[in-house]
Amino acid sequence: MNQADLSKLVSALRIAVKPKPKLFSSPEGPAGRLKKLSATVTALVKYERIELNYPRAEEAQGYAERLISDAIRNGDCHKHTMEMADYWLNEKQLVHKLFKVLVPRYQNYNSSFTRLVRGPTTYPGYYAGTAILELKGNPFPPLKPETHNYHYWLHNVLLEEAKKEFRSAREERNAGTTESVTAES
Amino acid sequence: MLRKAVLQTFRQGLAQSFFKRNAVSLSETTVTHQPIETSNEAGERSVSTQKTSDDSGNTVVVAPPEFRFMYPEFLPDPAMETRNRLKEKLERMDMLQRRSVIEIPEFYTGSIMAVTVADANSPNKFAKFVGICIQRGGSGLRAWFILRNVVDKQGVEILYEMYCPLIQKIEVLRLERRLDESLLYLRDALPEYSTFSFDMEPERRLNNSVVPINPLKVKLRPRPWLERWERQNLQGVEDLKLPQVFYDRAAKVAKPWEKYDLMLHYRKTIPAEEQEKIFAEVHSQLQQQELKRKLRRRRGPDSEQ
Repeated sequence: MNQADLSKLVSALRIAVKPKPKLFSSPEGPAGRLKKLSATVTALVKYERIELNYPRAEEAQGYAERLISDAIRNGDCHKHTMEMADYWLNEKQLVHKLFKVLVPRYQNYNSSFTRLVRGPTTYPGYYAGTAILELKGNPFPPLKPETHNYHYWLHNVLLEEAKKEFRSAREERNAGTTESVTAES
Repeated sequence: MLRKAVLQTFRQGLAQSFFKRNAVSLSETTVTHQPIETSNEAGERSVSTQKTSDDSGNTVVVAPPEFRFMYPEFLPDPAMETRNRLKEKLERMDMLQRRSVIEIPEFYTGSIMAVTVADANSPNKFAKFVGICIQRGGSGLRAWFILRNVVDKQGVEILYEMYCPLIQKIEVLRLERRLDESLLYLRDALPEYSTFSFDMEPERRLNNSVVPINPLKVKLRPRPWLERWERQNLQGVEDLKLPQVFYDRAAKVAKPWEKYDLMLHYRKTIPAEEQEKIFAEVHSQLQQQELKRKLRRRRGPDSEQ
């Protein structure tokens, strides 16, 4: 039965979702995988910026986005959403933070709610490297420098014009030489 | 100079094609749609056209939320590897084209239906089968449903592809739902739960707006069964009364964490925004087809005579 499951209405996530989930081995098996990821999601909601290994960060990002998007769509009176929040957030005060702080913060967002930035990969060490997973709108200084549009700065304008002049001069020279060639032939 | 000009036209061409694609999709969503309401619509179920306004203030047609249950085959297969938006769009166009030729009514698992198929080898050239829909699946033009009946003490199941051109008529004799989405357990149930007369007449519904849920609990035959029904959390089956060992083994094999696996649910379904887009695209045509059929039915006996 490859029909879409209609029992739940789900908001579209604004992150890249891979077709297959990443499996994490643990003594408890698949149940342990979700337990580990719930610890990561709890830490993310508690500290708003965490540094961890990249594969786990990638998976936890999906679950965090799903949790927040469900909270925004359904609110705190929805039984299923409350059950999910209860499972994924191990500290119960974070359930309050989710509905009272994060939902209003992300209510009108058109982008994803989390940001995943790759961190250093130290050799020798874990091959996949580290990552920093953070909730957007956190109070800390930004991880990446702000991107400004520098093209209208004077030195860049002058450089662009110089480039255009150089290119047009070269094309004229080439056109001159090809014309002379065709004239000869 | 030449290279620059070529680059420019190439970029322009790309931009034009991109703009055209976007412009087409925009015009689809911002069409103002006046719902055509005839005076005798009181008894019929009103499929309300919900109008919401987008940012620019134009009214946007949004299909009612029940559409995803009425026409689940319009939603594509959620498997990400095989999704292709263009293919899905073309498929939806073909589905609407087929629906304009033949009426494919709303039905659910548990509804009793009669299907007439063109059959070259039968004396009448048509073959009719009546049965209860035990399962439906597939997406797009490959949507199918299985009808089950017991004929001469022999259980018979036929899988029909809804958009197959050989199908002449699909009629819903009794429109209702059951407590489960899949009634495969009827194979192990007593035969009276799967027996329906081929002469069954279509039943008139008293309340048109809500599809009734039949809370019937079916009695199963004694074991052995085809599947381990105790592991499937069936609502529509009477208490199985198995020894406790069965339930213990079921608990061992169960995956209770899947209930909390948010990404698993996400990968199994289509997000709400995409569903809305798909049904908004398809909604007005489906409504028009329904209206035409209603008018034809009303005018039918007079115009035919």
